[in-house]
Amino acid sequence: MRWIRAYLALARAGWASVLEYRAQIVIWMSTSLLMMIMLAVWLGISRAGPVSGFSSSDFVAYFIVGWVVRNLTAVWVSWELEYAVRSGQLSPALLRPIHPVHKEIAWHWVEKGFRMAIVLPIATLALALTPGISLALDLLSVVAFVVSVFLAWLIRFMIDYLIGILSFWSSQSTALSTGMEGIQLVLTGTIAPLALFPQAVQDVLRWTPFPYLLNFPVEIVMGRLSTEGIASGLAAQLGWSALGIVAAWVVWRTGIRRYAAFGA
Amino acid sequence: MTSPHIRVAHLRKYYQVHEKEPGLMGSVRAFFARRYRTVKAVDDISFEIAPGEVVGFLGPNGAGKTTTLKVLSGLLYPTAGEVNVLGFTPFKREHPFLKQITLVMGQKQQLIWDLPPIETFLVNQAIYEIPEAEFRATLRELDDLLELGPLIKKQTRKLSLGERMKCELAAALLHRPKVLFLDEPTIGLDVTMQARIREFVAEYNRRHGATVLLTSHYMADVTALCERIIVINKGCLLYDGDFRALIERMAPYKVVRLHFERPVTCAQLQAFGQVEACDGFTATLHVPRASAVEIAGQLLTQLQPDDLTFEDPPVEDIIRDLFAGGLEPPPPAMQPDAPAALQLSPRQTTP
Repeated sequence: MRWIRAYLALARAGWASVLEYRAQIVIWMSTSLLMMIMLAVWLGISRAGPVSGFSSSDFVAYFIVGWVVRNLTAVWVSWELEYAVRSGQLSPALLRPIHPVHKEIAWHWVEKGFRMAIVLPIATLALALTPGISLALDLLSVVAFVVSVFLAWLIRFMIDYLIGILSFWSSQSTALSTGMEGIQLVLTGTIAPLALFPQAVQDVLRWTPFPYLLNFPVEIVMGRLSTEGIASGLAAQLGWSALGIVAAWVVWRTGIRRYAAFGA
Repeated sequence: MTSPHIRVAHLRKYYQVHEKEPGLMGSVRAFFARRYRTVKAVDDISFEIAPGEVVGFLGPNGAGKTTTLKVLSGLLYPTAGEVNVLGFTPFKREHPFLKQITLVMGQKQQLIWDLPPIETFLVNQAIYEIPEAEFRATLRELDDLLELGPLIKKQTRKLSLGERMKCELAAALLHRPKVLFLDEPTIGLDVTMQARIREFVAEYNRRHGATVLLTSHYMADVTALCERIIVINKGCLLYDGDFRALIERMAPYKVVRLHFERPVTCAQLQAFGQVEACDGFTATLHVPRASAVEIAGQLLTQLQPDDLTFEDPPVEDIIRDLFAGGLEPPPPAMQPDAPAALQLSPRQTTP
């Protein structure tokens, strides 16, 4: 009950803040328009015929759904944490009887609500108006998609949170965050579906968290995965989430000791 | 006897800081071989504070005041020594502990910058689990004492420094903490606002019996609020005790200002006390506290000044002397006509 109240209050303040920054959020959202540009590129290439089994309508489905997923999984917790450590604002936050990460989680969620109000109608319209698109909208796929998007967000959040915690040791952790964003653009399937990558690369990537951050949820809705494929993907996501949470917990504890030793 | 709210025994807090020489080469050298130096921010201090006490924590910049407050509130863990606040070990930051304390830092804030303070208040209500009725009552009381009025619905970033400080205090006290750590709560505020904040702290202490440990560079804050002060410098404890006793010990004299219609000579005045300034028509004397009234009578009858005022020496001067020279043993009583006694001002006795 206490947690529900705390989250509701944090979300309320987060929502007020989102409305305050609505213009800025729309600008952040525009960075995901990269996917629309990539869609145009791939539509040009696929005009001559399907690429590795991807027809033009497949590309539309992939990038539109991918755009939704990318907006739902956007994270910026490393920036918040780096700022809090550098400015000393972390100190008052540490003296409240709730871990500072909960505020970040609550604010990320309400921001997603705002983004969806814009993204979902556009995506639905675009998918409905494009001929030849078939999506897997059965109950199992939809539930699996929702769960996989949540887990994709959780993994991205934990990776970014870990980068943010490095602020306890280095004042340049956000550079790492920017670098990670670049890597993710390629390895998560943001600029090209991973199915178009050489098989050997795909085999290697399967052992990293990256395919599960975008490519995997999109492929669920596109109906490209078997039930076993969905199950093993979700299992991998759960594994990476758990690993991320444990790693973040351990590194936070170490980092906070350092903060407490050197200059809160 | 009630157990103390705050107990500090042999607290030490050392930092390792790395030193870098200026310039590019300095940076390169620092990159390959960092040189570290140990800074003793707090070096073996001990004190206890009883429930309901308001204690002033004084010291020059870098004395270790803020470090001590951070250790006491749980932000820093000590290098050595024991710290106990309300029966808790602060740096564990257990929630039952955090719910009973507050740390207000004049230069840091908890209010959400882009939102009105009421949003932060509501968040605090939820995370401190303050029941609705109690929350409303406390908010009414804080509103009453601090005159928050419409401020709480104005965006924090649009508030003036003083307005923001009032709201910061309100946010920090909504959960009615038993122990308040106030680090420079009046910094940067104008005189009126400083007085308002002081009155508020005093009233909060009276109403709720809260224990307050306060640092400030404004001596008025300390004189108005604290009967007891703890003075530290370079991490070491210089004085812990009654504020008035310290003043009497450091400055066992009163300042007498005189104005004459007919000129008097400095030699005439020297018979009454230590002459600090004298230009024939105006003069400033230091006279022993104990015989001040008697000497004033003699001055009035023998020299017939047309104006005579008594003052305590400025507290700032006393504290500055204490910082500069430490606490000397109490000087012998000052005799008005003994030339040797003229050297007894603490400023002059310390090297």
